[in-house]
This record gives sequence, C-alpha cells and structure tokens, in this order.
Amino acid sequence: MFVQPPGRTLKKILLIMKLTPLLLIMAILQVSASTFAQKVTLSAKNAPLVDVFNQIRLQTGYDFAVTATTLREAKPVSIDVKNAELDDVLKKIFDEQPLDYFIENKSVVVLEKEPSFFDNLKDKTAKLLDLSSDITGRVIDSLGQPLIGASVSLKDTRYSVLTDTRGVFNFSSVPQGSYTLIVSYIGYARIEKNIQLEGRDLRIVLVAHTATSSLDQIQVIGYGTESKRFSVGSVSSVTADQIEKQPVTNPLLALEGQVPGLNVIAMNGVPGSTTLLQVRGQNGLATSENLNFKPYDQPYFIVDGVPFAPQNTNVSQLGNLALAQEYSGGLSQATGIGAFNDINPNDIESITILKDADATAIYGTKGANGVILITTKRGKPGKTTFELNINSQFNEVARPIQLLNTQQYLQIRREAFAQDGITPDNNPNDYSGGYAPDLTIYDQNKYTNWQKVIQGNNTNNTDVHATVSGGAANSTFIVSGGYTRSDYNYPGSFSDQRYTLHSALTSTSTDKKFSLTLVTDYAYDQNNSAGFGGSQDVTLPPNAPDEIDGNGNLIWNYKGVPVYDNFYATLRQPSNLQTFNFNSSLNLNYEIIKGLKIGASLGYSRNTGTEHSIDPLSSQDPSPYGNTISAAFGNTSAQDINIEPQINYNKAIGKGVLTALIGGTYEKNVTDSYQNEASGYSNDAFLNSIDGASTQEPYDLAGLTKYAAFFGRLKYIYDQKYILEFGGRRDGSSNFGPGRQFGTFGSVGAGWIFSEEKAFKGAFPFFSFGKLSGSYGTTGGDASEGYQYQALYSPYQYGNTTPFQGIKQNVPDNLYNPDFQWSTKKSINVAADLGFFNNRLLLNATYYRDREGNELVAYPLAAQAGFATVFENQGATVQNKGWEFTLTSTNIKSDNFRWTTSFNISFNRNKLLAFPNLAASSYAQQYVIGQPTSVVYGYRYKDVNPTTGEFEYYAANGTVTSNPNYGTAATGGDEVVIGNRETNYMGGFGNTFTYKRVSLYVFCQFSSSMQPNAISALYSDPPGGEYNLPTYVLGKFWTGPGDTHATLQRLASSYDSPYLNGAYDFSESTGAYSNDTYLRVKTASLSYALPDALLKKVNVTGASIFINAQNLFTITNYKFGDPEQPGTFTEFPLQRIIAFGLNLKF
Amino acid sequence: MLIALSTLGSCKKLIQIPANPPTQITRQQVFADSATAISAVAGVYSYTPSQNSQGIPYEDGNFTVTTSLSGHEVTYTAGYGDYAQFSSYTVTPINAEVSALWSTPYSAIYQVNDVLGGITNNSNLSASFVKQITGEMEVLRAFYYFNMVNLFGGVPLVTTTDYATNAQSPRASASAIYTQILTDLADAVKKLPATYPSSGHVRANLYTAVALQAKVHLYQGNWQAAYTEADSVIRLGGFNLEPNLNNVFLDGSAEAIWQVPIENTYGGSGDAQNFLPYSNNTTPNYVVTDSLVNQFEAGDLRMANWLGVNVVNGQNVYFPAKYKDQQPTSPATDYMMLRLAETYLVRAEAAAELNNLSVAVADINTIRARAGLAAVNPATQAAVLAAIVKERRTELFTEWGSRWFDLNRTINDTKYPSSGKATAVLSGYSATNGDKLYPVPQAQIQLNSHLIQNPGYH
Repeated sequence: MFVQPPGRTLKKILLIMKLTPLLLIMAILQVSASTFAQKVTLSAKNAPLVDVFNQIRLQTGYDFAVTATTLREAKPVSIDVKNAELDDVLKKIFDEQPLDYFIENKSVVVLEKEPSFFDNLKDKTAKLLDLSSDITGRVIDSLGQPLIGASVSLKDTRYSVLTDTRGVFNFSSVPQGSYTLIVSYIGYARIEKNIQLEGRDLRIVLVAHTATSSLDQIQVIGYGTESKRFSVGSVSSVTADQIEKQPVTNPLLALEGQVPGLNVIAMNGVPGSTTLLQVRGQNGLATSENLNFKPYDQPYFIVDGVPFAPQNTNVSQLGNLALAQEYSGGLSQATGIGAFNDINPNDIESITILKDADATAIYGTKGANGVILITTKRGKPGKTTFELNINSQFNEVARPIQLLNTQQYLQIRREAFAQDGITPDNNPNDYSGGYAPDLTIYDQNKYTNWQKVIQGNNTNNTDVHATVSGGAANSTFIVSGGYTRSDYNYPGSFSDQRYTLHSALTSTSTDKKFSLTLVTDYAYDQNNSAGFGGSQDVTLPPNAPDEIDGNGNLIWNYKGVPVYDNFYATLRQPSNLQTFNFNSSLNLNYEIIKGLKIGASLGYSRNTGTEHSIDPLSSQDPSPYGNTISAAFGNTSAQDINIEPQINYNKAIGKGVLTALIGGTYEKNVTDSYQNEASGYSNDAFLNSIDGASTQEPYDLAGLTKYAAFFGRLKYIYDQKYILEFGGRRDGSSNFGPGRQFGTFGSVGAGWIFSEEKAFKGAFPFFSFGKLSGSYGTTGGDASEGYQYQALYSPYQYGNTTPFQGIKQNVPDNLYNPDFQWSTKKSINVAADLGFFNNRLLLNATYYRDREGNELVAYPLAAQAGFATVFENQGATVQNKGWEFTLTSTNIKSDNFRWTTSFNISFNRNKLLAFPNLAASSYAQQYVIGQPTSVVYGYRYKDVNPTTGEFEYYAANGTVTSNPNYGTAATGGDEVVIGNRETNYMGGFGNTFTYKRVSLYVFCQFSSSMQPNAISALYSDPPGGEYNLPTYVLGKFWTGPGDTHATLQRLASSYDSPYLNGAYDFSESTGAYSNDTYLRVKTASLSYALPDALLKKVNVTGASIFINAQNLFTITNYKFGDPEQPGTFTEFPLQRIIAFGLNLKF
Repeated sequence: MLIALSTLGSCKKLIQIPANPPTQITRQQVFADSATAISAVAGVYSYTPSQNSQGIPYEDGNFTVTTSLSGHEVTYTAGYGDYAQFSSYTVTPINAEVSALWSTPYSAIYQVNDVLGGITNNSNLSASFVKQITGEMEVLRAFYYFNMVNLFGGVPLVTTTDYATNAQSPRASASAIYTQILTDLADAVKKLPATYPSSGHVRANLYTAVALQAKVHLYQGNWQAAYTEADSVIRLGGFNLEPNLNNVFLDGSAEAIWQVPIENTYGGSGDAQNFLPYSNNTTPNYVVTDSLVNQFEAGDLRMANWLGVNVVNGQNVYFPAKYKDQQPTSPATDYMMLRLAETYLVRAEAAAELNNLSVAVADINTIRARAGLAAVNPATQAAVLAAIVKERRTELFTEWGSRWFDLNRTINDTKYPSSGKATAVLSGYSATNGDKLYPVPQAQIQLNSHLIQNPGYH
C-alpha cells in the first residue's frame, strides 16, 4: 500500500521523484555534459569514428546512439590519451567533427552539429520580423533508433503529425510563441517539452525512453497494441515479472488473484490438469446444476495471434488421475490434462485479459466470455546474451487432512452399531446390516495412515530454462529451451515432463517499410499417470488389511474378505499421454505509403496427443473365470489455420491522430481423435503394441469448424485529451445452421483525459493523471460444436462393442435443432483512472454491466426426451455487473531500497434478469429470476435433535422435520433458496521489496463466497460406516438422548441404518454451506543477486539465487481440506511448491 | 493477400463445410436405403457395454441387481450405498441406480421412435421391410414400457422424437402405459411373421410379441388372454426347453423366445460381471439369500448349475451363476429377454387362476422334470399357486425382476396365502409406504416439474 507521507516529508519525497529519470528530454543546445569518473585510454590514428566509439564502449560500458546517416558526415579520428576523463575525450573527438553529442543514461547520443553563430544572427532578425518558423525534429529511442509513427503535436494547436520511417516530423510555418511539444508512442514515456519559437527554424531531437510507468507501457490488445494512457477498454495484463516468480507449470495458474474480474479455477493438484478461467462471472446458463463452471463459458484463448485450446477442454481421452473419475468420457471435458500444459510460463512475455466489449467486440461471436491473449517473448536489440534458469522444487499437499487412527476409528464404529442397535458380525448373508469385517475380521491393532500413504509424499521437481537472445537494430532473435519435470504427489513413479523450444525472429528492412515477425513454439510433454484415481482411498479403514505384501504382490483376499479395487492395482494400470504442440505465427507488414500499412498474420497450430494405457494381468485379481489383458491406444489432433489480412492506417488529422484497422479472418479448425481398445493379449509383455491383441475395437471422431469474418477499428485521439473508438466484426461460423451463420457485433468507446484540461493542470501538485472512459458494445457467444444443427448418426463411439449379427450399429448422436445461434452479450464499461505523484500511484476504478441474452446452451432435458441435452437458445438474460479496483504504487524508491505495491479487488454480482416462461422450462427448479445463476436450493438446517439424535430441518411450512421433502415448494418439497455460490469478492495484493541485491516479492490472493463446507463432504457416505473420517468429527457426534451439544447427527453403522435419510439431506442444507473466505499467500519469492565483482572473475554478467514458493500458507476458517477445493477432501489436493533456483546471465 | 481479401467478399463460401463430418452421417442418409436403415435397427437391438446407454438398456446389469436386492434374492456385501438401499427399502429419489433405471430405457425408446419415424412413409424402403421393422420396434417399445411400469408405475408416455413436447410431458397413468404396450403388441402381432428375420432368436418375431403379450396379460390379471397367448407360443412357436441347464443362456438356446447377443469384446454380460466373484475363496459381492437357497429341493439341478458356491471360512456362500460369461464365452452367451420356461409358468399360473389345475400342474412338472425333480401333484388351487410361486422362484431367480414383480403383483390376490406375500417375506417392506414402486428420480422432477413423485418418497 502507498504510504501517505506526512506534510513535512512530502517535500523530500517530491525531491526524490524529481531525480527520477522518468522523462528526459534533450535538445542539442542544452547539452551540458556532466562530469564522469570514467577513465579512458585511447590511441588512434585516422581511425573511423565507429571504431573509436567501440573502443570507448568496451572501456566504459557507454553505448553510442548513432545512425548510419549521421556517421557518413564523420571524419577519421586521431587521438592519443591516457587515463583521461571520458568527458574530455569526447570533447576532443567531437571538436573535429561536424557532429555534436550529449550523454544520457550511459548512452552517448550523436547528432549533427548545431547552426553556427551566423545562423543565430539570422534568427535574431527573424524574431524581430515576427516570422513564422519551421520545426523539424527526430524522435529516437535511447539506442538512436528512429521511432516510426510516433504522434507529435503542439498542444492546443492544430499541429499534429506522425513521424516517418526515419523518425522525422515536420511542422511548417508555426507562428512565434511558446508551445508544448508532445510526443507519444506506445511503450515509451510521454515526452512533454516546452519550446519557444522566435522566428528561427527549430531543429530538435527528442529521445524517448521506455516507459517505466505502467500508464505508458505497451499492452497487447486484439489485433494491435496500445498504451494504457489512451485505452478506453477494460484490459489487464500480467507480465513476465509476475509470472516467472511463480513456480507453476500451467501459465493460467499464474493468473490467480493477479487480475481483477478473473476467476481462476484449478481443478485439482495433478500435474498437467486443466485450469479453468472465468472473466467477470458466469454469462451462460449451466448445462448441469452440479457444474458451476462448464467449459463452454471459457474465454477465447489466443497465443501469438493463433487461436489456442478451444473452450479450454482436455487433450487426454483415456483415463488418468487428472480426471478424478474411472471412465474417461473422452474429449471435450473440463477435466483431464489441459492444452496449456504445453506452454512454458517462462516463455511468456505477457498475458492480456480483454474484458469489456470495447476490447472484445473485434472478436465477434467468440468474445462474449472475454479474450485471453498470450504473447511470448521476443529478442531485444543488443549484444547476445545467454540466460540460464535452474530450479528444483519440493511439493507437498497444501492443506493435508488429519484422519482418525485405528482406536478412534474402531471406537466410532462400535458406537455406530450400538446406536443402531445392531450387533456387528462376520456373516455376509446378514442383510440387516450387521456384517462388519473391519470389526470382526480385520486386525484390531493394525494402523495404516492412508492419507499419508496416498497424499503424504514429497516430490522433487526440476525446472530448467535457457535462453539465447540478441540482435541488431533491424533484427532480433530469441531461442529458448525448457525442461520441466513435475512429479505426482502420489505413490508410484508418475510424472509430467515437458520439453519446450521457443523461438522468435523479428526483422525490419533498412527503409523500415517492411517488417516480419516469426514466432515458433514446440512443446513435447509426457504425462505418466495412474489410469484412474485412488485419492478417495484416504478414507479406507485405518485397520484395513495390507493391499500389497513385502514382495510387491497384490493382496486380494484377507480371510475371505475381498480387497475391492486394490489401490496398488491402480498404480499398475498406468496411462501415458504424450502431447506435441506446435504453434507458429508469421506476421508481415509493408508500408505502401506514409501511414498506410498492409499486412497479414498467418497462424498455424497443431496439438496432437498420443495415449496409451494398460490393464495388465499383474494388476488384476486372478479370476477363476479368466482375466482379460487389455490396453487402450489413443491419438488426438487439433489443428488450426488462421489467415488474417489487415490494413492499418495512421494519420494525424487536425489536432489529433487517427488510427484505423480493417482486416479479415479465415479460420479453419480441424479436430480428429482415434482410439483403439485392444484386448486378449496373451502376455503383459505385449501390451505396448496393438498387434499383440486378439481383438481390437477402434473408433474415431472428427470435427470441423470454419470461421470467416471482417473486422475493423477506428480510433481518434484528439489533442491528447479526447479519445473516440469504434470497433466491430461481421462474423460467420459454420457451427450454425443455414441462415443463422452470420452476425454483426460492434462497440463504441470514448475517453476524456481530464488532467490535460487547463482547469486541472497544476491545480493539485500531487495529481498527475486523470481519465474517464466508457464503452458500450455487443459480443457473441458461440458455445457450440460443429454440425450440431444436423441430426447425426454415428457408429458406437465408445469401444469394445462388437457388431450386431455382423451389422455395425448406427445410433443417433443428438437431437435435431437447426435453429440455434450465438448468444448476444451487451456490455457497458465505465472507468476512472487516476495518477498521483507523477504517476507513481495509479488507481483504476471500473464499473461494468454485462447482459447476455438469447442464451445458447446445451439445454438440459428430462430423460424422456431421449437425450440429456439439446443445443438451443433460451430467451433468458443473465446479468453480471460489478466493480473492479486496481492500485499500483511505487511507495519508496531510493538508491538502495525500492518498495512497490499492487492491489486489486473485484466485486461481481450475477443475476438472472429475465427468463420468459421459466416455470415451464427445465430450469424451473434450478433458477430464480432476480437471483444469481448459482442459486442454491436446499433445506434450512436447524440442529441436531437432542432426543432422536437426527438432523432437523425446517419444512417449507415452518415446521421442524428430520425427513424433509425433496424438491422446491412448487413441487411440494421443502427446499428453498438458501443462497448462491457467487464469489462475493476476490482479489490479490503483492508487495515487492528490493534492498540492494535482495528482492522479496509476496503475493496474496483472497476470495470469498458461499461454498459447500468441509462437513458436507462427510455425508456422501454414512459417518460411522466403513470409512475413515477426519479427526474434526471427534466429540461432535450425538452420543445419546439429552446430548444438546452435538453438531453432527447420530452415527450410522451402514447404509441400512434407519437414520440415514435425514443425514443425506444434510449436504443439501444450510448446514452444509458456509462462508468460504480465505487469504492465501499464493507466491513468495526471495532472490539475491550475486555481487558483480565476484561474477566478473568468472565471466558472468549477472547471477541470482532465489526461493520461490507457491501456496505457501492459507488463512481461513475452512474446517479441513482446501478452501480452493470446497466440499471435498478426497480429490487430488492442491500442492504447496517451494522452488530453489539459480539464474545466470552471460 | 489481396486475393485473400477479395475472397472474403464471399464469406458464405469460406465457411462452407461438407454435409456431414467424416465419422458421422445425417439422419437423412441413415434412412435413405434399407442397408443403412438396418444399421440403425442394429443400434436399437444392441446390448453393448457402451457408456451412452443406447441400445437395449440395463447392460450393466443394474436392473437385475436392484430388483434381485428388492426381492431379497441376494444380499449385497460390498460398500456401495446406492445398492444397499434397495434391500432395505430406503431408496432415495437421488439414488444413482434409480436414475439409470429411469433414464436408460428412454434413450432406447428414443431410438425406437426415431427408427419408426424414419421408416414410416419412406418411399426409399420397401413396404415389407417397413412392416417387418415396425413390428419389431413395437415389440421393443412394449418391452421397455412393461419394465418401466413395473418399476415405477405410470411414466411419461413418449412415442415420438419431438423433444420439445416430450421433455415436459407428465406421467401417464399405469393403465395408459399398459394400453400402449398392448396396442403396440397387437399391431406387432399383425405385422410380424412366425419366422425370425435373421439367424437365431435375436430379433423379434410373431411369437416374441405373443409371449410378451402373455406375460403382460398375466401381470394384468387377464388370465384368459394370458392363457391363450402362452398356449399358442408353447404349441406353435417351435421352442423347446433346453435339456441341459447350462445351455439355456447360450446363443442358440432352443427355449429362447428372444435373446440378444452380448456385444462386449472383453467382458461378458453385466450379470456375470456383477455376480461372479473374482476368486474362489472370498465373499462374493452378492450372496444368494438363505431364503432363496432354501427353496431348492435336494437334487434340483438348477442349484448345481445356476448357483455358484464359494467356501469362505468353512461356510458355503452362494451366488447367482446363470450367466458364466465374466469373459466372453464360446459358444457365446446371449442375454435372455424372454424364454419358454417362463411362458410355461405363465400358462400354468393363468390356468391355475382359471381353475384349470391339470394344465397348471402339467406345466409345473414340465419345468420340474427339466430340473431333475420328481413330479408333484398339488390338489387345490392354493396349493397349485404355491407350487407355481416356488417354481418361479427357483426357475426365474435374478431374471428381469421376476421375484420382485411377483411379490408386488400378487399382493392383493387373495388366492395366495398371506404368509407368502411381500409384506410378510420382505423385512422392512411396507406396501402402504410405497415400497412397491421405486421413486421417480429427483433430477428428473427437477427438469420436468410435471412429474409427480410416487407416494412414500419425499
């Protein structure tokens, strides 16, 4: 947080700020070389100037900003100095030259020499005659490279131009007077310079500096870039700085808490598993009441201009631990291994989140759920550097649960039977519920901590990333390779290993007219997992017999009691997924005439997967009826071709600058999957090959979608103050039926930088920037799959089916509705941006209101319709509105100590605004108009009845019952609205402290919502039954009549217990929901840069060592389990990761 | 690039895609000729391990398991609560198995309705083909609704594929469902030939329809109709009881009136997977109850052939073993839908109810003889009915809910002794509490507010 200084120290702080080299403008006349302690020894005779510069650079580390044209004027140099001051040496050199120079930031900027005395005399005359004059100038960066297309204007006048390919601008016939010359160019700090025109032509060179204030930094937007200063859309960026401090393998996980309005949902802690994102709440209606997030509400992902991971679904089709279910269900699911596992976070330069219509309307039917733009790293001009990053990570369960030991467990079991009035026995034929092998057959003293066996492992992961980058002014390159190994925190040797190769090449022609960028990413990932999960086995009785003997043989029988689903057997049915990701984009641009560029983005991505899972004999219970040895083989590929021709036009018009973009898109998305279930192997050794199988059951599935669109954007920035922007897209998608394919979407945005108005200028010394902006627009949601508008039949899609009497069966795939089309979202966004203390403190407050109508959903249907869902539009309107606040601040900035803070918080309110005929729809019992779409129906929980020991609830009519009626009041039930699962607020805050060579970054993430609490998870099985329980329950169960302190109802020995029905109802009651608020120290990163002196000896430019931690600890009142995984404690838990690492630069 | 831009002018062309994706075909293509139409028919008949619940429902054996638990034919010893509820009559509307029992037949009914819709008034298909298939589809639809009405009572009656209407339709009365069943069967009887349309007894023929009619009429108490129909199947159908009990459930069984191939590459029937234990010395998941074991007379071959036994800690523990195909068998095991032994017992019961005791006794003895048991000669109607109950228990155990449905349907028949009725023999069962019918799945009520829950469930 920014510390508001008391009055006395304010002056001091302002002084520090003045010293801050935020804006440095140098005109030639004003060069006043400062003194340097740098010593130079030089000896040269008639040497080219360039060589001399190189000599000095090597000795002093000073760069020379000089262009080829300037050097043409240079004369050879003869000099002989020893240990001379740099300043003196330069003076000596430049005395002889028709050139001048000034020094800035360890750069020597070389320029043509100023007019002579005679010229000055002429100028004086001109002043007297009140002649107008010309201003000619060049805008260069600190390396002397021209800035092309920078906007240059004289404030409050009609003079406004863009620089040409040499960075040159020109204003002719400017009347005498004082002006403020403003230069703005995205990514560079804005230059404001006061100039005085006295009749003499002015030649001026302006050096622009890379922006240090986030207000002027480049942010990537749809089909372009912009600076935050002139943005009117709602756009957030997370940069490499924030990403690289987090030891996560999935880049989406690095976004958690960083971006206001962005909800990140880690499905579980399995390495490689899908991570879902949601921008500004749930816009769509759910397909299933249990699925709060469905894949179809995912944002549109674009990596380097290429659409990526459509709907963010899984890329694995066979079973694995990430699925948390035994049957895979194939592709297009929200769980499993995700495509983002193929992107190395270390290769990402920035992730941009586009939220409002102004930012997303240009994506038409794909923009409704927000757009995520991932931009990978590019090389930077300069000498070639080599960077190596190595770290080793230790994982453990973030919030382990503690379960009962054998004595506690058996005690609870005995009590349960006693309360049920049943005597435990060893007779399996006893259907009164007395059969209890754990009490009558198992060893009463054995103790196995299954939680520890299954989840208690520590893993040791490795992450290595090496980069070579560099380039000259006209071309840069970067090549980086990465290797990441993440072990499963699970028994067995399961791991996710990723190999990535990233490269980017940029090139610009000498005349700056043609430019090219080629980015290529390869990834190979190998995920070895158990075929399905046994994480729920943590609740095995602690005295359950061993499932494996000392020799590693599986045990299937303990004194006649079979071992069902032997945990160790699942470890012997591995599932191996190999994914190959290729993502490449080529961007070409050519400037035909000044300001008019034509270009194209060509993208191609291909993500393929090869899978193999086996069910060997060695993992099976030997059956008297014989065993089947089988294996499954799978292949998937998803391919995207993306062609986007574009025309960009930049022109200064009047007092402002117009930028225009028109473009087109052609996109073809092809998916294929193939699976072969092979069985009847004679030996486990053959399982790696299909050939060894006696029977094969292949099936395949293919999908195809094509898009075509026109898009455009027009932006006018008038006098650096007023901004007007229009964007839109005419979009066509083959996912819709004839006559429904095309739609038009658009937005209008406007901004007013009121701090530029005279009234505000200087009114408050600490106030430096103020902008109001707003936008309104429409986007679409095409939550559909290809061909769903057709009535389709296909052969059985899921294997091991033999034909019926030799005839391959065809079965219907879907219900026929040719009429669905995209949903339409209307968005309003209003924002205020304020900057204080020279923009060291920046505040943003945003209000938005999104309304999605004509909802396109996989509409759930009662079973009698034949299919569970049909693609259909519903007249419903869902509203998400809310506030987002962001603060970034540089609190302290001195030579040795620097402290910066970022903070964001967002409040989203979701509401079903309208739903005509809701009562007659499938959603009648699920939604309520005026309530959030995550509304929860349930029973109002009262307490535990002290006499009967049963849970009690309030019936709809207010009476108390232990057996409430299912269903809502409308269907005669006792369920009422008991709340909703919306996130009330969420956000994050980070602090970075840098003291000399030590840097500490601590980022905390928080969230608050109502969620199923940990206790609710107890009631999926009867507590008191043959399952272990968390120690939390001790002392909480009802013990007998008159017990008024119990918070949990009487124990139930088995499913046959007569008191269970009311217990099941508990998980549907207010008692099972509670406020789930937590603050998690998401990231803590401590690094130390080794002293340069030490490094010089070993020829290393920079080196640092660091410790990065993820999910370090959590503050919450959540009872047990992880508040980020509410309502369960048996899923694969989220991990705490601590990474120790080393970073080296050569 | 300019070319690319100019082609954008014709956006419609750019997003043109073939009529169907490579791995799927359109419904229109399916019914364009009889060769593809028959592939859809094959899809209707399929008894597969697929997870999308199409084809013949209940392939996972859950119909057998749930009704066998409710009829106290077996006890459940493993730890899955949703099964345990069936034997203790504590089934909840959120029970996953109930949900499957309700939903899977509707997927199958949709397929039937879609085929009927696709072939009716279709000039691409021959009249004889349409007639044949129509009859077969009607038999299947009747079979599905017969199971549903016995499990749940009246259910929504759906005979089209119009999802918009069907999805919100209320429950029809049980008698309306029976009317539909009998209408379908009556029409099928008119359309189907006496011969099977393909090899084996796999697709419905005339006698499949008639045998089902007989069973339906028996459950309805239409004794005369049941008698006549069962009689015609026995006399004219050309079926014979398999002398070897171990051949009854195999492909080509002579007593099969309708059996479907189990189309599972590396597993057998759901019944075998559920019932057969994985080893010889552990407690099976489902143990045959003592009360059923005790029904078998000494020397009953059905006990030796259709029950399996494990010795656990020195005790005999029995499990159902009619289906022995935990792995695919050779000759193949087919899944039995209707068989002659049942039809004998239908005729016997109808005859007994009509007081034609000699026919009834003869039929009982036919069944007993095949089981290696001596003839009996009960003299009174009550005694004959009691003998039929016993014979049905030992012959038809764990088959299509026979015992569970018998207990429920005879509950008000005063000709049976009260000591043999559900309320007396099933501990925990309460007819007044609605235990006779399973609950309508809560999820379905949630999706369709017009569905009214069965009494006793809340």
